[in-house]
Amino acid sequence: MWFCCLLAVLGSGASSDGMVQTESDLASVTDPVDFESEIQPLLATHCLACHGPSRRESNYRLDVKQIAMQGGDFGEPPIVPGRSGESPLVAYISGEDPDLVMPPSEQGSPMTPEQIDLVRRWIDQGAKWPEHLAGHDREEISTDHWAFQPIRHVEPPQVRDWPEAVFPLTNPIDRFVAKRLQEESLEPSPPADRTTLIRRIFLDLHGLQPDLSTVQAYQQAQPGSYSQWVDQLLAHPHYGERWARHWLDVVRFGESTGFEVNRDRPNAFYYRDYVIDSLNQDKSYRDFVREQLAGDILGVDEATGFLVGGPNDIVKSPDINLTLMQRQDELADYVHTTSASFLALTVACARCHNHKFDAILQKDYYALQAVFAGVRHGERPLKNQVPETVRQSLSARGAELAASQTKFESYREHAQPPGDEPANLLESVNAKRNTDRFTARPARFVRFTIERTNGAEPCLDELEVFAAGTDRNIALASEGGVASSSGNYANNPKHQLPHIHDGLYGNDKSWISDTTEGGWVQIEFPEEIMVDRVDWGRDRTAVYSDRLAIGYRIALSLDGQEWQVASSSRQRKPFLVNGKEPEDAFVVRLEPELASQAREEYQRLVGLRKQVAELQASTPTGYVGLFGPAEKIKRLHRGDPLEPREEIIPDTLTVMGSLGLSGETPEAERRLKLADWLVDEANPLTARVIVNRVWHYHFGAGLVDTPSDFGVNGARPTHPELLDWLAWQFMEHGWSLKWLHRQILNSSTYRQSSAPRAEANQVDADGRLLWRFPPRRLEAEAIRDCVLQLSGKLNPKAGGPGFLLFEVDHENVHHYFPLKEYTDEHFRRMIYMTKIRQEQDEVFGVFDCPDGGQTIPRRNRSTTALQALNLLNSRFMLQQASFLADRLQNEAGDRVKDQVRLAFELAYSRQPAQDELDESVALIELHGLEAFCRALLNSNEFLFLS
Amino acid sequence: MNFDLLNRRGFLGSTATGLSSIALTHLLNQNSLLRPRADDREEGKRPIRPTIDPKNPNRARAPHFSPAAKNVLVIFCAGACSQLDTFDYKPELVRRDGQPMPGDNVITFQGEQGNLQKSPWEFKPRGESGKMVSTLVDHIGELADDLCFIHSLTGKTNTHGPGENFMSTGFTLDGFPSMGAWVTYALGSENQDLPAFVAIPDPRGTPQSSVNNWGPGFLPAVFQGTDFNAASPIRNLVRPDRISIERDRATRDYLRRLNERHLQKFPGDSELAARIASYELAARMQLSVPRISDLSTEPAHILSMYGADDTENKLKAQFARNCILARRLIENGVRFVQLFNGAYQTGGEGVSNWDGHKTIKKHYDIHGPILDQPVAGLLKDLKQRGMLEDTLVVWCTEFGRMPTFQKGASGRDHNPAGFTAWMAGAGVKRGYEYGATDEFGYKAVDKPATVYDFHATILHLLGLDHERLSYYHNGIERRLTDVHGHVIRDVLS
Repeated sequence: MWFCCLLAVLGSGASSDGMVQTESDLASVTDPVDFESEIQPLLATHCLACHGPSRRESNYRLDVKQIAMQGGDFGEPPIVPGRSGESPLVAYISGEDPDLVMPPSEQGSPMTPEQIDLVRRWIDQGAKWPEHLAGHDREEISTDHWAFQPIRHVEPPQVRDWPEAVFPLTNPIDRFVAKRLQEESLEPSPPADRTTLIRRIFLDLHGLQPDLSTVQAYQQAQPGSYSQWVDQLLAHPHYGERWARHWLDVVRFGESTGFEVNRDRPNAFYYRDYVIDSLNQDKSYRDFVREQLAGDILGVDEATGFLVGGPNDIVKSPDINLTLMQRQDELADYVHTTSASFLALTVACARCHNHKFDAILQKDYYALQAVFAGVRHGERPLKNQVPETVRQSLSARGAELAASQTKFESYREHAQPPGDEPANLLESVNAKRNTDRFTARPARFVRFTIERTNGAEPCLDELEVFAAGTDRNIALASEGGVASSSGNYANNPKHQLPHIHDGLYGNDKSWISDTTEGGWVQIEFPEEIMVDRVDWGRDRTAVYSDRLAIGYRIALSLDGQEWQVASSSRQRKPFLVNGKEPEDAFVVRLEPELASQAREEYQRLVGLRKQVAELQASTPTGYVGLFGPAEKIKRLHRGDPLEPREEIIPDTLTVMGSLGLSGETPEAERRLKLADWLVDEANPLTARVIVNRVWHYHFGAGLVDTPSDFGVNGARPTHPELLDWLAWQFMEHGWSLKWLHRQILNSSTYRQSSAPRAEANQVDADGRLLWRFPPRRLEAEAIRDCVLQLSGKLNPKAGGPGFLLFEVDHENVHHYFPLKEYTDEHFRRMIYMTKIRQEQDEVFGVFDCPDGGQTIPRRNRSTTALQALNLLNSRFMLQQASFLADRLQNEAGDRVKDQVRLAFELAYSRQPAQDELDESVALIELHGLEAFCRALLNSNEFLFLS
Repeated sequence: MNFDLLNRRGFLGSTATGLSSIALTHLLNQNSLLRPRADDREEGKRPIRPTIDPKNPNRARAPHFSPAAKNVLVIFCAGACSQLDTFDYKPELVRRDGQPMPGDNVITFQGEQGNLQKSPWEFKPRGESGKMVSTLVDHIGELADDLCFIHSLTGKTNTHGPGENFMSTGFTLDGFPSMGAWVTYALGSENQDLPAFVAIPDPRGTPQSSVNNWGPGFLPAVFQGTDFNAASPIRNLVRPDRISIERDRATRDYLRRLNERHLQKFPGDSELAARIASYELAARMQLSVPRISDLSTEPAHILSMYGADDTENKLKAQFARNCILARRLIENGVRFVQLFNGAYQTGGEGVSNWDGHKTIKKHYDIHGPILDQPVAGLLKDLKQRGMLEDTLVVWCTEFGRMPTFQKGASGRDHNPAGFTAWMAGAGVKRGYEYGATDEFGYKAVDKPATVYDFHATILHLLGLDHERLSYYHNGIERRLTDVHGHVIRDVLS
């Protein structure tokens, strides 16, 4: 639909709207049209079958004034009073919009030209529709959906006739759960045994197993000490490492761009560490929300990594359609992730039309877009990590830079128009081969300095310097030329410094600088020699034209200290990038005196830019987004960037109130205002959504089983009062997540046994009513971490740059090849694994591990043969099995029985039964300790949280 | 595997625990915890979410209606293969060769256009239908009478990553389930000893959107494609050399006993039982996959029919081996096979795939021969074995290319406004052309079809209603075709 529509626009060119309007303007003066007698019957005959009370196609009705005027799913008013030419309804009924002819041929006969003209005139006369004929719609956008109602202050229910001996009503959570179980005549389960419980809270809160001494200590602890254990676990940094993973799923965090080129984002990890630290500090969820949306003005730059943690298509094109669509997709990602993560609403469904199910208008979607209209992908200095001295210098240089920029620009108006360049200018640079001739001079060194490229680090496939008056290339290594440079592009055999003078052409034998749009390369000759010509190119085989040095200078020197410029890009016509000339191209069209002043100022400007860039480079930069002036946001008809309609000012959902902003509100304020609104205690969604998420991760399912959709089409809460009680108390307790964890973990509900019971299974197989603790397979990260922990190889290093499990081929399109060997660095917790989109961890990726392409509010848990094969046969797992064997040998000594006992204690926190012991010993005696370890690492008991 | 471990009643009552998001339990429905939005719809329009047996998630499932095809083999040309140099013959383009294209100069993906440019390859009439096909794909051209061309496809994007995403998942964005995953989710597989969905990457590497093409998106991972080809087997399939067969067997027997004993503490837990079953399936795959991948049993005349014995063109021989593998997989009941021709960009634009921007003649002279005989061999082989009776073969690419050469270059830029795909085999017309581009082959003008329509048609041929096959994800009944798509009925036989 979208594309057909695009074609129609491209194909049809100018519309005839103006013409139509003139005609009807004339008619409108002469002959008043009566709605009741002339228009309403027409609508009834031709339209109401589909757009009336019974069918309401596209949620549009022509029997109800408000809907007729306001529009249906397309989100725009089909009738513009006074302007028939701008009224889509007229285009539909007259067949002007070939995509949408109304009524459709199979639904009825079209209106006659006279009838259409009547409708035109009625609209031009103001589309008068008397109120007594306005009709009404019982299904107007409503807010009676549960999730939009205020959070209630609920008292925990009284529960009578309850088996408190089995299931003590420890805290209010238990009362809500017990009440619900009683309603379904379900019995609760008794408390889990101590071993199960201590394993459960470790796996749940840390994603790791308790060690031996911990299990023993807990088994011997005083009754009632459980809650102290919970406190201890929550206070440990492993808690943040485990629970950050959940949040990163929800917000689709990844560390590469995704799409075709899938470049890595080496500085994206700051956001991951921010999430871990925030959780460990028990930062108020209010602040957590506010910082992620507006951390740049709250002094927490890392937090806005939230906004740009998703994929973005960085393939650039002069095709405006593609560029506009890419920007729309980025904005949609910000809107979707924000609304899904904090509000659990699928606002992005309203990108093309009003939401099909929820009270979300298309204009609401664009109002949220306008909140993020100044956000772009990219890296930004982390100001809160900048030393004060650097901050001061930055501010001073920044001011100078602005002044210099203004001064330089002031010369522009004195320049002749383009095309009036001096006649003696050479052709602009080209990718293949450029020749720079100059008066013969003696030189020992020739240096080629790049000032600018048409993008990225410059590439030269060959630099040739000719002895004066000859065709002898004296730069060649074979002629004794020695090459050096300001720095070389790393780790690519195709791009090496020696290639600059190896006599071989083409990309595969080229040099690339390590500096974006800069750097130099030089040749030193064995002795001083007269030179008069330099030939150079990007790719003489004419395959590549990127990375071209479009601003450059060639300088000669006798001693490597004093340099004389012999030639430069200023002697050439400007190189056009995307049809535009470089910013200093006008200088050649100035009077000589002004030209020299302008050139001097430009040098200063470039120098200042460099200084500012260096200052910025000396402070850490994170992939946490760029903020600039907000672009104007318009509603796009059917989401098509080529069909912009009215301007939309930043705001939140109509049904939930207003932020009170204007189109002029500075962009950062927009984000902050939205954040403040999100965490306002009157907001019915934010607290409910986060307490439900936390519940979901503790019990494997939320009270609402669609944690990122609380809308009409989402699931309803199994325990609505409990959800409200939790949300209310959560806000009362300072939006503290650790408070919430404590409430849940200390409940009898959580502490129940996970053993199945046939009679309960038949009523509630998923355990959604919590007649037991629902057991489940661990996620990819917890499995890997537990394997490393068991083998004794887990590297506890926390924070900072992640480890990469791939070798990277840094071509334009990045490619990732799984490593063959691992070092200790790779044995860190999986939260520190650099998350490359599309490229999953070779072993654990298949355990339903999301790749950050989409937001994942809940993971699937599938069971596949590939999972089995990976755990059985992968290099990683076999190596870990061997480490575990070493560990057992070291810690338990040579007696096989002791080794087995230790292994069971480590892996399962229990002793082997006699038959298990016998079988294990038999296996080890025949096939060795490693075989036993391999089996253990594959076993269900090890891989399940129960 | 001891199936008695699963108390049947307990098992039925717990289908949701293994694949928790697949089946919304009866409890949810009973209590209307999930708003029964779907059930508000008219009978015949309600979403169909297949019931998945967690212990055997790929067990064959019935389609929605009687299908024309049981299996699908998709041949996917990465890099965007030009319709104008293969299957979409335009006499007017030949006549106006070297002249500017009428109208405003269009800015496409890489910029401005040069002049109209006829194909460097000659077109010839083929078979009884007289269908014009270029000499670049001579062997495929000879089979034109068996093919059903769609010449009026249109896409939504003109850049590779989103283009591959769109063709393989129905969305331009990353992260949506692939067509193969949808089909596997709907239908399972006839053969439980092989993966239900296999992606066969090109000998030169993975395609440009890599695993997105066969990823599960938000569907359970069990439905994702397993990627391997004739040269590189499934990762971790093979027992490491240093572990003897006896040791491997003993270890796994021990593991099974360990797991079964553990299951006794959780009677009826289908997730635990499913894990035990997954090791049995893995063991069967370890036997069956190497047998299927072992092409040494193929007779010489078959190898040579595909061009797998070509000693001059190694890439072609390797791709031909992938084609033979594809046939063997389909022959053994694999539901969905995705065979890639062309890889991600490496060694420069157009070198490793069909992205002929700058020197299309030079690059397509590499890619044409790699594709042509092996694919033709595959079609002929499927036909002679009677496999086209219930197998649908689909040839497609990311989008089309321009009828002009790029300004200052000798190649064609991206063009999603009109391009070609073809189908062959079960349920589709033979020697048929559907839709058309304009006189130059630039835009679809006659019966334009969308990629959604294309997907809807493929699902239809498999007996699936694209409007009903759905997966409930985070509040949305997701479909391969989103909210779009019409079956292209004209191509159905």
